[in-house]
Amino acid sequence: MENNSGIFTRIQETPENLKTVAKKKLNQPGWRFGHITARVTEAGSFVVETLLLNTREGKGLVIESLLPENNPEYPSLTPDIPAAHRAERALGDFFGITAKDHPHWHTLILSSDAWEPDLTPLSPTCRGKREPFLFTNVTGEGVHEIPVGPIHAGIIEPGHFRFSCAGEIITHMDIRLGYQHRGVEKRLTEINWQNTRFTAESNSSDTAAGNALAHSIAIEQIADINPPERAQYLRTISLELERLANHIGDMGALSGDIGFSAGAALFSQNRGYVLGMAQLLTGKRTQRYYIKPGGVSRDADSSTLKKLAENCIILKKTMKEHIPLVLENSAVIERMENTGILSQRMAKDFGIVGPAGRASGSGYDARTVFPHGVFPEYAPAPAFYKTGDVLSRAKVKADEIFSSIEIIEKIIANIPAGEYELKNLPSNLRPESYGIGITEAWRGELIHWITTDSKGKISRYSIKDPSFNNWTGLGIAVRGNLVADFPLCNKSFNLSYSGSDL
Amino acid sequence: MNFPLLSIIRNGIATQKQAFPNLPDEAEGLPGFSKTDCNPGECGKCAALCPAKAISCDQNEVKIDRGLCIGCSICFKSCPSGVIINDRSTTTAVFKREDLIISNKTPVITPAKPLKMPFRKSLHVREVSTGDNITDFEAVAASNPVFDMARYGIQVTASPRFADALLVTGPVGKAMQEPLRRCREAMAEPAIVIAAGTSAISGGLFAGGYAEANGVDSILPVSCYIPGDPPHPWSIIYGILLAMGRISKAD
Ligand code: SF4
Ligand code: SF4
Repeated sequence: MENNSGIFTRIQETPENLKTVAKKKLNQPGWRFGHITARVTEAGSFVVETLLLNTREGKGLVIESLLPENNPEYPSLTPDIPAAHRAERALGDFFGITAKDHPHWHTLILSSDAWEPDLTPLSPTCRGKREPFLFTNVTGEGVHEIPVGPIHAGIIEPGHFRFSCAGEIITHMDIRLGYQHRGVEKRLTEINWQNTRFTAESNSSDTAAGNALAHSIAIEQIADINPPERAQYLRTISLELERLANHIGDMGALSGDIGFSAGAALFSQNRGYVLGMAQLLTGKRTQRYYIKPGGVSRDADSSTLKKLAENCIILKKTMKEHIPLVLENSAVIERMENTGILSQRMAKDFGIVGPAGRASGSGYDARTVFPHGVFPEYAPAPAFYKTGDVLSRAKVKADEIFSSIEIIEKIIANIPAGEYELKNLPSNLRPESYGIGITEAWRGELIHWITTDSKGKISRYSIKDPSFNNWTGLGIAVRGNLVADFPLCNKSFNLSYSGSDL
Repeated sequence: MNFPLLSIIRNGIATQKQAFPNLPDEAEGLPGFSKTDCNPGECGKCAALCPAKAISCDQNEVKIDRGLCIGCSICFKSCPSGVIINDRSTTTAVFKREDLIISNKTPVITPAKPLKMPFRKSLHVREVSTGDNITDFEAVAASNPVFDMARYGIQVTASPRFADALLVTGPVGKAMQEPLRRCREAMAEPAIVIAAGTSAISGGLFAGGYAEANGVDSILPVSCYIPGDPPHPWSIIYGILLAMGRISKAD
């Protein structure tokens, strides 16, 4: 398995040693757990692959463990590395691999409530033993359950939450996802690589730019191509516009959930303003299909860039006026402060990424270490708060609104002339290779991990959406809070359901 | 000091006055046809390039199925003779699935004749997200102060019990099929289902997989289809008004 990016090294370990080796690495400063997934070799055996990331030097380590043919089983990482707990359960669902001694070895997405009991879609043979989704049974005097969803009251994605409450206080929340499972990872191995970008973006299509960029980086690593300099600048504008639009939208949504309608109305309009900028650059409010392997799909002429720079100035002024309306409003602060606290320890253990991680003292922003677009060169200092409550998460987003505007202004001032795309892409990808694209999407670190087989066909495509681990963070943060504060906690994380369901 | 009211007053009225404007010049909409003279038997470039297999060419006709189109703009950017163009109109919704298939033989799209519907002045809509969050994103935008669908009497309700229409936005994979059916059963009659976005119409890029995410009309009868991936908020409002019977051909 080859990768020429200079970022990743690859080692082989027996399944028995995997846990010890991974843990030793993670005890060294700067290392964090990235992802764990599996693939099936051409000979038909299972390989478990663990990705560890060095967030100081921008390096990655892939540990490859070949599982015994007759018994696809390995000792679970979760008891030592809790951040792996959902990804390992997904291995059980999609491959029928067993992570021995996993403390909660139950189906994650493909529960038998909706799926055939033996379905393991990414394994060549059906080998699953699906069970219904297991909810935690909380008992005690006066404890009652409130089931919510999958269809919610607002315009949001489907998912089922089951609260166990003592009076009005949430003692535990189970999150059952998987309602939107569409078979994304399987589909990505069924089509030719030139068309995968369209499906890769639909992983969670509200993160079109982030997904497309991670996809493009992974493909570019495998095809050994480098997009032109100008394209990298344009891609970064697109990525930052997406962050701006969504963070601004979140400020409005938080206001809405508090009942502060003025904030909700103003910010939804501001978001529309940024979507207009995105449309100017990419042709679409949602920026879909703009970033692609080898560059971007259309150039921005000087008048477009000038217009964007002017828009940035106006937007900055508006934000300086509107953000204090929310974050310096005592009625709003009253609701956000000390609500939905995610402690630093929990955030670290469960690998929480993005604004939620930075609100709980993590300081990890993939823009500062992993190359994508013009990062790390133009990376801002990561927003950093320690309290981990709704207010900290809102503050992180507010800080990032301003830093993103600055980045865009700097990029427009420095953008080089030249091509915006590579004209001739190779028709085949390099065989027996892998590419790992890591970007800081607006929800946080997003990983697209592509592996090719001996013919250069994509044989495995694994996606780790920022929401995947952050759902656990939400589950922990709501404990001890009022049921009525759940919408507020949920909005402060604003996670993707479809990105986790795939 | 903090004066939200001042900011609101200074902000003025945000709501767009003109309904269903064309998208601005820089925007990329759906593919449409400008003229008929093309020789697909020889060229056929568009069909070969379309990643969604939405275009079919035979000897003398090019057909585009907007219910499959993901709006990647590749066809109209690469059509050598300008037959396929960028259609920036937002009045793209139709009543029947087959009306989404357009052909270079009949370049103009005309919305079908409105059905007699019992809803005229107002409609309560329950949005059901079934796997494509980008259309939800635009459905949220449709009710913001700029597009403000409430002014047409369109309200989003919290429960299907109060709703006249379901606005479904995703391809409906297996796990969402039963909840969607039950949601429809919970509604009082008469009620309609609107499919918004390519994934909801046909399953889009996910169709035909093991998750059986093949679009809404494989589960429930659909009264109105809104193409686009995602449709623009104006297209969504247009589609809902069309379903309500408030768009006549003359509009
Ligand atoms: S529509 Fe354009 S691309 Fe398609 S066959 Fe005709 S000329 Fe060729
Ligand atoms: S815009 Fe639609 S019809 Fe045209 S190539 Fe893209 S998907 Fe196909």
